[in-house]
Amino acid sequence: MPGKSFFIDTLLCMACKGCQAACKQWHDLPAEKTVNRGTYQNPADLSFVTYKLVRFNETVIDGKLKWLFFPDQCRHCMEPPCEMTADDPRAIFRDPATGAVIYTADNKNIDVHEVIESCPYNIPRTARDGTLAKCDMCNDRVRNGLLPACVKTCPTGAMNFGDREEMLVMARRRLATVKKIHPKAKLLDPDDVRVIYLVTEDPMLYHSFAVASNSAFDISRKVALNKLLRPLNRLTAGL
Amino acid sequence: MKVTRRKFIQISGAAAAGLATGNLGFDLSPVMAHAQMLKTKYAKETITICPYCAVGCGAIVHTSKKGDGRVINIEGDPDHVINRGSLCSKGAGLSGLVENENRLLEPMYRAPYANVWKQVSWDWAIGEIARRVKKTRDADFTKKNAKGQIVNRTTAIASVGSAAMDNEECWIYQALMRAIGLVYIEHQARI
Repeated sequence: MPGKSFFIDTLLCMACKGCQAACKQWHDLPAEKTVNRGTYQNPADLSFVTYKLVRFNETVIDGKLKWLFFPDQCRHCMEPPCEMTADDPRAIFRDPATGAVIYTADNKNIDVHEVIESCPYNIPRTARDGTLAKCDMCNDRVRNGLLPACVKTCPTGAMNFGDREEMLVMARRRLATVKKIHPKAKLLDPDDVRVIYLVTEDPMLYHSFAVASNSAFDISRKVALNKLLRPLNRLTAGL
Repeated sequence: MKVTRRKFIQISGAAAAGLATGNLGFDLSPVMAHAQMLKTKYAKETITICPYCAVGCGAIVHTSKKGDGRVINIEGDPDHVINRGSLCSKGAGLSGLVENENRLLEPMYRAPYANVWKQVSWDWAIGEIARRVKKTRDADFTKKNAKGQIVNRTTAIASVGSAAMDNEECWIYQALMRAIGLVYIEHQARI
């Protein structure tokens, strides 16, 4: 399943938050009451009604102030730990055409908090009633030949979207160029996720969940292998 | 490996998933078909210009073809030469200008020294504005200046125009203000 992928070039991001607003607009999500916390990062965190958030971080590197922007969202993992934890395609499934990881409102049979804890990027959020929500890759738009709202609106070209192979090529080519000026530049978990970030500094300076812990996808791969070996398990078990 | 709560649950969750995986046995087609429905599928498309800044980005407005004709979605116009489909956060939130529960639908009036706003009718509001403008203008109207030149002006009223007005609205507004005799006409001209 090659599917689709994002390439997010944080070097080009100017933190206009167009993606954040376009996401809310397309999904008809309400605004949140915000307070001045001394940062432009508003609201403070992702939520049930905020799937996309530009994170702002000020940090001093080699005596110079750097203002780092990180447009955070679901990474649509190649082997999503949340999907495996839920183990109920009525609640969490992947669109085979795009690879989008989709949460439905049908969460009766899953442990919502376990699903949240399983996410290596700390993305899913719940409503009061326990329903889960997160970025859906604008799967409706993508399946109808449109770009996701966040990518469509991006004025600088920081947000890119397309066939996975194409995005990987774009990401690697851009990394090679950027590395000449920013030797610390790297792509974040490019083989494991569909949302590939290019950062020029230590990813932890952008966001503590910018990269997955090393173990997260090793486990997923083992589970994926199990899946291949035992495809009829559910049927033979009679559900 | 130090097992944090997050990691621990990952492991146990993944292990449990490993025992009973294989996404077989559920018919997901209705859910997935729903996920593919575009909310703008049956909408009417109209092009417009974002009113917020001087860049003048093009946008497409999707309105409902049935019933009330309300705005469903507004996004960047890919055919527009200036923005090629992109919009900043203000532009991307354009639909909130129209479809907004906090938007006032009737004129509100706060009488002098009152501390509350009350809803009034359009008829009353427009009549009252016209009456007060006329009164102030007539009281101050200057036909000739100190040199005896004909000026026909009032300096008692100033107009601070709207940044969200387009060219045509500005023309009508300007004509009205000039006709009354205003010279202090300010506008945060953008589009």
